[in-house]
Amino acid sequence: MVSEKLRERLAYVAMSAIVAWHTLAMVIAPAPDSDVTLLARLALQPYLTFFRLDNQWDFFAPTVGEGSRLRYDIQDKSGKTHAFLPADELRWYHPNFLWFRSWYYRIIDDPDNYAAAAAAVLCRKHAALGPLAITFYEIQEEKFTREDYLSGKQRMDQGFFSVAMLRGMRCPDP
Amino acid sequence: MMLLRAIQNAFARLAQVWLQIWSQIWFAPSATAPLELARIGLGAAVLSHYALATPHLTAFWGDAGWMPRQLLEKEYDSPLVQSLLFYVTAPWQLVAFHCVFLICCLALMLGWRTSWVKWLVLIGQISYDHRNPMFFYGVDKILAGLLLILCFAPIGRALSLDRVRAVRAAKRVRLDATVAVFSSEWAGACTRLMQIQMVVLFFYSGISKMAGDDWRYGDAVWAVFTTDEHYSEFILGVFAHHYWLVNLATYGTVLIEVAYCFLIWQRGTRPYLLGAALFLHAQFAFLMGLFYFSFVMMTGHMSFVRPEWLARLGAWWRQRIGDLEMIYDGRCGFCVRSMAWFLAFDGLAQIRVRDFRINPSPVVSDAQMEKALYLVLPDGRALPGFEAYRYVVLRVPGLWWQIPFFYVPVFSRLVGRPLYNWVAANRSRLSSMIIMRPKPQQ
Repeated sequence: MVSEKLRERLAYVAMSAIVAWHTLAMVIAPAPDSDVTLLARLALQPYLTFFRLDNQWDFFAPTVGEGSRLRYDIQDKSGKTHAFLPADELRWYHPNFLWFRSWYYRIIDDPDNYAAAAAAVLCRKHAALGPLAITFYEIQEEKFTREDYLSGKQRMDQGFFSVAMLRGMRCPDP
Repeated sequence: MMLLRAIQNAFARLAQVWLQIWSQIWFAPSATAPLELARIGLGAAVLSHYALATPHLTAFWGDAGWMPRQLLEKEYDSPLVQSLLFYVTAPWQLVAFHCVFLICCLALMLGWRTSWVKWLVLIGQISYDHRNPMFFYGVDKILAGLLLILCFAPIGRALSLDRVRAVRAAKRVRLDATVAVFSSEWAGACTRLMQIQMVVLFFYSGISKMAGDDWRYGDAVWAVFTTDEHYSEFILGVFAHHYWLVNLATYGTVLIEVAYCFLIWQRGTRPYLLGAALFLHAQFAFLMGLFYFSFVMMTGHMSFVRPEWLARLGAWWRQRIGDLEMIYDGRCGFCVRSMAWFLAFDGLAQIRVRDFRINPSPVVSDAQMEKALYLVLPDGRALPGFEAYRYVVLRVPGLWWQIPFFYVPVFSRLVGRPLYNWVAANRSRLSSMIIMRPKPQQ
């Protein structure tokens, strides 16, 4: 029979262990690599991975960087090409804005793995055009300064972006 | 020997002091109110976010969508990355999972069966994140941290349907019974964990910004609004002609993030830092369109709201509305049960009750009371039946959810009055239909 006092002490120790452990996890997860943090990670990593706590908290840092956009061209049966800037269809106030952009960024970052799945989805979406092939491009924005703005230039004027082809492929058979 | 004992004593005293400090930091008894605010906010945020994802369910998380199952193997190299959606194969299973998850989010927001629903929301949230890691955005990272802390915490003890159920159970025994505000050491510890989470987040966010040239030279906010994601012609126009605003916003962001970590703990500076952090996130929401992110962050900041601030706000509201007295028929079982249910939502204890059978009112005659329940207002006026309820729901915050039913122009009175009058006229019959009669009033 465990006495009331012993039970209280055990509860206190257990609560202390939980708060110490979780606090350590919160502090170590975003910390830069060092001998100490790597040692702590040996114990904490399973916990961080399982609960998705391994985060850096480096929003817009250290640099904001330039943006990039996805463009895809669909070639139809008659050989005509239709260009699409899918981000233009999104509204900033809707969560779609985040979800769809995340998908576009993933295609830009890793076309070898993600372009095929995206091609299947997008060719299905534009089935009315009779799509034969699809080509993905990245529109990489260049720096746009205050002086550029004051001299009357527009963000998407020539010289403030570059276009790179990511991958082209045939549309899968419907 | 004496020296050894003296050293032992010194160590024991030192350990005692450390234990006291540790207990003060972590285990000061606290009400759950700040955590409940976080629960309501996070529940609402996750519910609305995932509800809006419903039209794209199979595209986002299905096998024929954006993240086919075979690509997941390239994403993860740890067996600890788990998701219930890894085991979902048919579209109907995905729909069922989604429906259950949304119901759990709603339950978490309302505080219904909170002790286990919170775990289901966490499992669901992690499952969605792991099934499609491309969506793992800043806000999901924050959610993962805050939801886990809420799972540890003894939430659902205030501002919740669980609290309503507990109060209702007490009031069914005795209508003027009160249930003490829940307070515990563990609630204090979990509030502290959430506070530390927010501070760690702001600290790393602040110092990582200091390492970048955009932030050091005061240009970061300009750069943000020139990217396609946050592009705004109007804001760029304003900033270009008043560049000092860019510098102010850039340095202000870093200053708030870093100062928050150190000054949020002090009693005197906490309101200012909390206000500054909320202001910062309001800017992110309205200028950058980051509504979901900002709302979740604001919810996390609620952990710094002192329970006594809420108590003071409640006292101010009570004083402003004044004393309300509901007079009811204690012999009518149906009336007592209805009152118990109604009063369970009166978290600020604004309504006093009087059974006219044992304690006649000096304001309302017994003959009037035979016909309807009455509410006596602070100025001495007495409102009968439907009008009494109508008056109360607007003034008791726990009953605000009933406002749409009582305040639809024309319709509410057109339907509500005859309905109430019918119930009042037939209350004896309704009481006899209730199998479980209320326990007698003591």
